[in-house]
Amino acid sequence: MSSDQDHLKETDTEARFEFKKEERSSFQAEKGLTEETIRVISEDKGEPEWMLKRRLRALEQFQEMPMPTDWPGQPDLSEVDVNDIIPYIRPDVETRESVDDWTDLPDDIKDTFDKLGIPEAEKNALSGVGAQYESEVVYQNMQEQWEEKGVIFCNMDEAVQEHEDLVREHFMTKCVPPSDNKFAALHGAIWSGGSFVYVPEDTTVNMPVQAYFRMNSEGMGQFEHTLIIAEEGSEVHYIEGCSAPKYSAFNLHSGGVEVFVGEDAHVQYSTVQNWSKNTYNLNTKRALVEEDGRMEWISGSMGSKATMLYPSTVLKGRGASDNHITIAFAGEGQNIDTGAKVYHNAPNTKSTIESKSISKDGGRTNYRGLVHIADGASNSSTSVECDALMFDNESTSDTMPYMEINESTVDVAHEATVGKIGDEDVFYLQSRGLDDDDAKQMIVSGFIEPITEELPIEYAVELNRLVELEMEGSLG
Amino acid sequence: MSTQVPADLSEATVHEIANRRDEPDWLRETRLKALKAMDRLEMPDVIQTPGRRWTNLDQLDFDELADPLNQEDVTERVTDEGVEVLPFTEAVEQHPELMQAKFGSVIDPETNYLTALSVALFTTGTLIYIPEGVDAEDVTIRTEMNSRSLFSHTLVVTESSSSVTILERISTGDADADIEGERYYSNLVEVDAGENSYVQYGSLQTLDEDTYNVTMKRGDASVYSTINWIEGNIGSQLTRSDIETELNGDSSESKIVGAFFGHDDQHFDVNARVWHQAEHTTADLVTRGVLDDRARSVYEGVQDVGRDAWDTNSYQRENTLMLSDDSEADASPKLIINNHDTEASHSATVGQVDREDLFYLTSRTIPERDARNMLVEGFFVPVLEEVEVDELREDLEAQIAARLRE
Repeated sequence: MSSDQDHLKETDTEARFEFKKEERSSFQAEKGLTEETIRVISEDKGEPEWMLKRRLRALEQFQEMPMPTDWPGQPDLSEVDVNDIIPYIRPDVETRESVDDWTDLPDDIKDTFDKLGIPEAEKNALSGVGAQYESEVVYQNMQEQWEEKGVIFCNMDEAVQEHEDLVREHFMTKCVPPSDNKFAALHGAIWSGGSFVYVPEDTTVNMPVQAYFRMNSEGMGQFEHTLIIAEEGSEVHYIEGCSAPKYSAFNLHSGGVEVFVGEDAHVQYSTVQNWSKNTYNLNTKRALVEEDGRMEWISGSMGSKATMLYPSTVLKGRGASDNHITIAFAGEGQNIDTGAKVYHNAPNTKSTIESKSISKDGGRTNYRGLVHIADGASNSSTSVECDALMFDNESTSDTMPYMEINESTVDVAHEATVGKIGDEDVFYLQSRGLDDDDAKQMIVSGFIEPITEELPIEYAVELNRLVELEMEGSLG
Repeated sequence: MSTQVPADLSEATVHEIANRRDEPDWLRETRLKALKAMDRLEMPDVIQTPGRRWTNLDQLDFDELADPLNQEDVTERVTDEGVEVLPFTEAVEQHPELMQAKFGSVIDPETNYLTALSVALFTTGTLIYIPEGVDAEDVTIRTEMNSRSLFSHTLVVTESSSSVTILERISTGDADADIEGERYYSNLVEVDAGENSYVQYGSLQTLDEDTYNVTMKRGDASVYSTINWIEGNIGSQLTRSDIETELNGDSSESKIVGAFFGHDDQHFDVNARVWHQAEHTTADLVTRGVLDDRARSVYEGVQDVGRDAWDTNSYQRENTLMLSDDSEADASPKLIINNHDTEASHSATVGQVDREDLFYLTSRTIPERDARNMLVEGFFVPVLEEVEVDELREDLEAQIAARLRE
C-alpha cells in the first residue's frame, strides 16, 4: 500500500501548487469580451455553425443580465470585470489535438502536471485522465478496456467535432441553459476545453476518471465545460482537480458542468478545488436524474478568493436519489459561499445533504441551499445537515437554507450547528502529548472525516494534506 | 421598488387624526415624519428563490384597504396592582416624558413602508408601564376591530427588576356586518425591558378571514433582562408577522414561541429574529404550525450573533405538520455567526401526522379522525407549555380544537 502512495509524499509542500511557469502561448485572445472575440475563438477551434450561434446567443444573454449583487451576505464581485480578463489562451502545443502520452508534451507543461502528481495517480488509481492547461485540454488518455466497451472520455472541443449529435442535443440545452444565471451565460459564450464523458448502457467504469485544470497565466479566465452522459444502468465516478499559482490580478474560473443520469444509473462527481487566492470561482453545476438513478456530488472547496457554487440536482424520475457532501474551508481573505440545490419533481425521491465548513483568520463561509419538493412528489424525503467550525472571532459563518414543500406525504429535516473548537478537546489531546497545532489539526481532520471517507484513498489523503496546509499557514 | 402612497393619504389626514386625539406636537411631528418617509421606504423584505417569491405584499392595495379616518375598535384593558395600563391619549398626558422618550425607540417608524404607515395612522394605542420592582400578572389588552382598517401601537416599558405577563387578544368585532371585502389590521408592539426585568408578551389573533394582518413586535433587552414572546396566529387572510428581540445587554435572554394553524387559502408569513449583541446571551426560537386545505406558511428564523457576542447560546426549532396535500410549507432558518465563542443550532422539519402513532391509536379503537386530532393537539403541547397566562393557553387550545373539528 505504501509504495502505491509514494507520489503523495510530493504533496508535502505548498510549492506544489504555487509554482509558476513562464507564460507561453500560441494564440491568445484580446482582453475583454466582444462578438468579435467569440467569432475568433470559434473559428480558431473550427467549430460548426450551430455552436457559434449558441455562443453568440449566450453572449447576448450575458450582456442583458444584471450581476448578482443582492443576495444576503454574498461575496463581493465588484472586482470582477469581464473586460479585464483574457478569455482564451491556447497553450503552445505542437498538435491541435490533445496528446495521449505525457512525453509528447512540452517540458514545462509536462513538468507542471508531474509536480501536481497527475501521471503518477493515473498509473495507480484511474481509468482515464484529462489535463487542461489554460484554455485547452493538452493531455487525454483512457485505458483501452474502456474504449472497447464504448466508453467515451475526450476533451469537449473534440466532442463537438466527433460526437456532434450527442453534444448538440445535450450541450447547454435542457440542463444548464445559458439563461440560468449571468455566469452560465458568460460560460456559454466563451467556454473552452473540459471533458466529455459518455458511458453506454449497463457499463460500470470501476476506477474513477479524472480531469485536472490548471491556470498558469495571470489575469486569465478559464471556462471549461464538462458534459457527462450516463446511460441506463451505467456507473461512473468523475473527479476534477483545479489549481493555479497566485497573482496580484484576479483570475476568473467559471466552469459549467452538466450531468445526465439515466435510469438506474449512478454518477459520482468529486471536486477538490484549490484555486489560488486571487481566483473568483463562479460555477454552475447541475444533474438531471431519471427513474431510480443516483447522483452524488462531493466537493472540497479550499482555494479561491471567492466561490459561489451550488451544485444542483433535479430528481426527475420516480425513485431517483441525490447525495451532496460539501466541505468548505475559508482562511484569510476568502469568502466561500457554497451549498446545494435539489428539486424533487417525482414521487419517492430522496436527497441527503451534508455540509461542513471551517472558517478562520477572518475567512467567511456560507451554506446557501435550496430544497424544493414539488406538488406530486409524494413519499419524498430530504435531510440536510450543516455543521460549522469557527476558529476565531474575526471569522464569519452563515447558514441560509431554504425549503419549499408542496407535498404533505414527505419527510423533511434540516439541522445545523455552529461552534468553536472545544477547549476541552484540545486540552485532552495536549495531555496526551500532542502540541496545540497538532491537536487542532487532528480535531479538524475528525470534523471532515465523513467527507474524506467518501473519496478514494488518494484523494482523501490529498484533501487532508490541503487542510493541513491551510492550518499550518495560520498556526505555524 | 417603493410603493405608491395612497391617494387620499395626506398630511391633512394625519392632522385630522392628531386633532381628534388632541395629541401633543411631538407625536404629531412623529406621524408626519413617518408619512413623509413613506415615499422612499420599501416593503419589508420577502424571501425570494429562483423564480419564486414566497409572499406577495404588493397585493396590498391601500387605496382600498386604508380608511384612516373611520377606524373603529373596542379595546378593553385589564391592569394589575401597581401597574399603569393606559390608552395613549391618557398616557401622553400622565407620562409625557416617558412617552416621548420611548415611543418609536425600539421600532424605528422608518423601518419599512408598513411600519411608517402604521405610525402615521394609528388610532388605538396602549402604554403598559411597570415601575421598578413591581411584579404584575395577566395584564390584558383585548382589541376588537370594527372597521375597514385599524392601526394599533403598543408600548411596554419595564423598569429595573420588575416583571409582567401580558395577554394580547385580537379579533374582529360583531359590528362589522356592513363592511364587505378585504380589511387591514396593523399592529406594532415595542418592548423596552429594563435591567433585570422580565416580560412575557403573549398574543392570539383570530381576525376574520378577509383581513390582512401585518404585525411587527420588537424587544430591546438590557442587562439580565428576559423578553419572551408567544405569537398565536389562527385568523386572517394573510398574516405577515415579524417577532424580534435585540439582546443588547449582557446576560439577557429571549424566547420566541410561535404557533399557527392555517386552513382554506390562508397565508402565514411568520418571522422570528434575534440579534445577539452582548456577552452571555441566550435565545431560543420555537415555532410549530399546522396547515390544512390550501393554506401556506412561510417561515424565516434568524439567529444573528454579533462580533462582540461572546459566550452565546442560540437555538431554533421549526416544525410544520401538513394535513393536506394542497398546502405548502416554506422555511428558511438562518444562522449568521460572527463570534466563534458560540453554541448555535437550528433545525426545521416538515411532515405529516406520524403513521405509526395513528395506527397505534386506531388499534386502540379510537376513530381515525379523533386520533388525528389528538395527535395534532399533542403536536402543539411544547408551545402551549410555554404560555404562562392561563387564559391565553386555554384560548389557544380551544381555537386549535375548534379548527380541527370544523
